Amino acid sequence: MSAIAEPIAEPIAEPLPVEPAEPWLRRFKRVMLYGRNVDRGAKARARVGLAIIGFVVVYGIIALRLVLFGIVSESRTPQRIIVDDAVATARPDILDRNGEILATDVRVPSLYAEPRRIIDVDEAVELLTAALPDLDPSELRTRLSSKRGFVWLKRDITPEQQKEIYRQGLPGIGFLKENKRDYPNGPEVSHLIGHVNIDNQGIAGIEKWLDGHGLAALHMAGLATDRLQNPVVLAADLRVQHALRDELVQARDHFHAIAAAGVVLNVNTGEIVAMVSEPDYDPNDPRQAIEPSRINRLTTGVYEMGSTFKAFTVAMALDSGKITLNSSFDARMPLRMGRFLIHDFEPEHRFLSVPEIFYYSSNIGAARIALSLGTGAQQAFLKKMGQLDRLRTELPESAEPILPRRWSDLTTATIAFGHGLSVAPLQAVMGVAAIMNGGYLIPPTFLKRTPEEAEQLRKRVISQRTSLMMRYLMRLNVEKGTARKADVPGYYIGGKTGTADKVVGGRYSKTKVLTDFMAIMPADHPRYLLLIMLDEPKATPETHGFTTSGWNAVPTGAKVVARIAPLLGIEPRMDLPPADQLILASLKESR
Amino acid sequence: MILRILNFVVIGALVLAAAYVYRIKYEATVQAEHLAKLRDQVRQERDKIAALRARWGELDDPARIQDLAKRFLKLQPVAPTQFETLDHLPDQPPEYMRPGSKDPIGGMIEHLEVPVEVTGSIPQGAAPPQTPDKTTAPPAAAPAQSGTGSE
Repeated sequence: MSAIAEPIAEPIAEPLPVEPAEPWLRRFKRVMLYGRNVDRGAKARARVGLAIIGFVVVYGIIALRLVLFGIVSESRTPQRIIVDDAVATARPDILDRNGEILATDVRVPSLYAEPRRIIDVDEAVELLTAALPDLDPSELRTRLSSKRGFVWLKRDITPEQQKEIYRQGLPGIGFLKENKRDYPNGPEVSHLIGHVNIDNQGIAGIEKWLDGHGLAALHMAGLATDRLQNPVVLAADLRVQHALRDELVQARDHFHAIAAAGVVLNVNTGEIVAMVSEPDYDPNDPRQAIEPSRINRLTTGVYEMGSTFKAFTVAMALDSGKITLNSSFDARMPLRMGRFLIHDFEPEHRFLSVPEIFYYSSNIGAARIALSLGTGAQQAFLKKMGQLDRLRTELPESAEPILPRRWSDLTTATIAFGHGLSVAPLQAVMGVAAIMNGGYLIPPTFLKRTPEEAEQLRKRVISQRTSLMMRYLMRLNVEKGTARKADVPGYYIGGKTGTADKVVGGRYSKTKVLTDFMAIMPADHPRYLLLIMLDEPKATPETHGFTTSGWNAVPTGAKVVARIAPLLGIEPRMDLPPADQLILASLKESR
Repeated sequence: MILRILNFVVIGALVLAAAYVYRIKYEATVQAEHLAKLRDQVRQERDKIAALRARWGELDDPARIQDLAKRFLKLQPVAPTQFETLDHLPDQPPEYMRPGSKDPIGGMIEHLEVPVEVTGSIPQGAAPPQTPDKTTAPPAAAPAQSGTGSE
């Protein structure tokens, strides 16, 4: 059975893996295309892998580009708008100490042309000159006929003109809005803030200082395009500035002076509250500024300050301790120095005490004081008071003092009463302020400064006691001396006059003088120092033929004080005792 | 089978994500446009403000005001004697009139004291103002302390 079963099982147990027979046609194709021993399955897998890599790379690039577009396009668009629109860059506003605008940017349309796109030059010239009569037709024609891509036709046109030209519908003519500097107060603050050129870059005054302090760098980087900059606050008070300028203009006209200048300085902080140099100019029309007569006499000019320098001489004497208020000097005779004679303007012909020398303004006395202390002491003192070095403020314009070539005894004697050494008036103001404010030299500034900041900067140059004595002398000079016309009741002014003979052709002129007046208010606790300076004032009937400071600069100073003291917050006090009691008494207490 | 379902889920998620991203992008574009528009508006407003401030500065120029004041007003510059501080003011006057009284003016006259008050605007040498009836003035109403020159 088994034997039978055996052969039966035999064919079943023979499941030989028999390849399904490939159709001969297919086999033929395979052999022809791929060769006899190639595994097609493996090859197909490799291909799919390759395709996957290819697609991943392509889609990756696309995705990356998409992300890039998404990031870049957003940041690019707004930037372009600004660049298109602001050609002249923006500047920060300049404000006075009360927040009044002294300079600001306004956007004004400017007219430009793209000559390549202009179709009919004749028509364009005709229409444009009709709208803007001050355009020169021939020049306009050459500009429009040029092959350039862009030409300015007129900067700063009015909105009405813009509207008119817009309506003409000329192709190739367009407008750009530009920043233009506007000075709403015109000439009031001219020398103080300076001005800008047509591209809004500062070229004088505080404007130039702004450019020197980072603004220029911002411009270069193209960042200073929007008005997002903090305004600059000056120490100046527009109202005080106006009052000072108004009085100076009147004084200049009244005394037929070539120039008049004035400064108001806060003696405790060194802030310049007002500064006027007449004749000035309108910063909106900077062409005037080039005229040499319109320079800023207070910083750019140097002058022999005359008798106001006696304040330095007497302060030096009192501070040395060698000379007291009771010392007296021989003023009986003119002082002979070699072949020169030093006279007094109103000689007393007697021994004069130090206060008398100060309030009679005795040249002989001042010269003798200086000579008794010596040349070295004078040089050292004036150096300490900052009178021998160039004074640098925020204003770019400054002048070096003119020192004597040889500092002889004669020079010492003349400098004692303000001849032979030329300084910038602002410099002298700084020195006198140091004498008055308790003995601290504080560099003057045009920017707002707090008393704390001033304390950081100040430097003691004379003692508190000397300062107190000098206040007394200044007040005495108003009560009894050359500055009697400055006594505005209620403000307790102290002051020193100065009249310097001008040098004409290398010689001191007999007729041409420079008069100045330094006033402090109030004299017992000085807060402000006022300088009035008149260049070549002429005698008028009221001055009885005199041209000395007491007849012109002093009354002007009195008028200015009466106007500015209320603005500066100085409280009038009536019926104050004379200086002997009020100031000298406190000196004795402090002893 | 699982793999196939997962595939469908992933495809669905992909489509959803794409739609969502598109929407965000579209909204962002709208917002960016809005922002640009607002920025432009702000700039224009700022320019207008600057122009107005410049104009105000011109109108507020002290020289111009002085000129106008000279032409149209009869005002004089303030003299130093016209200033007075608050601490120099005399004390508050006594109440002349009770609230609710019928005859306020009569009450006032009845209580009329004649204080001789000297303020700083009157020089100290000047004669005190004439008192209409010295007899009714009680001696207590002594002249107020002179305010100036006392420091």
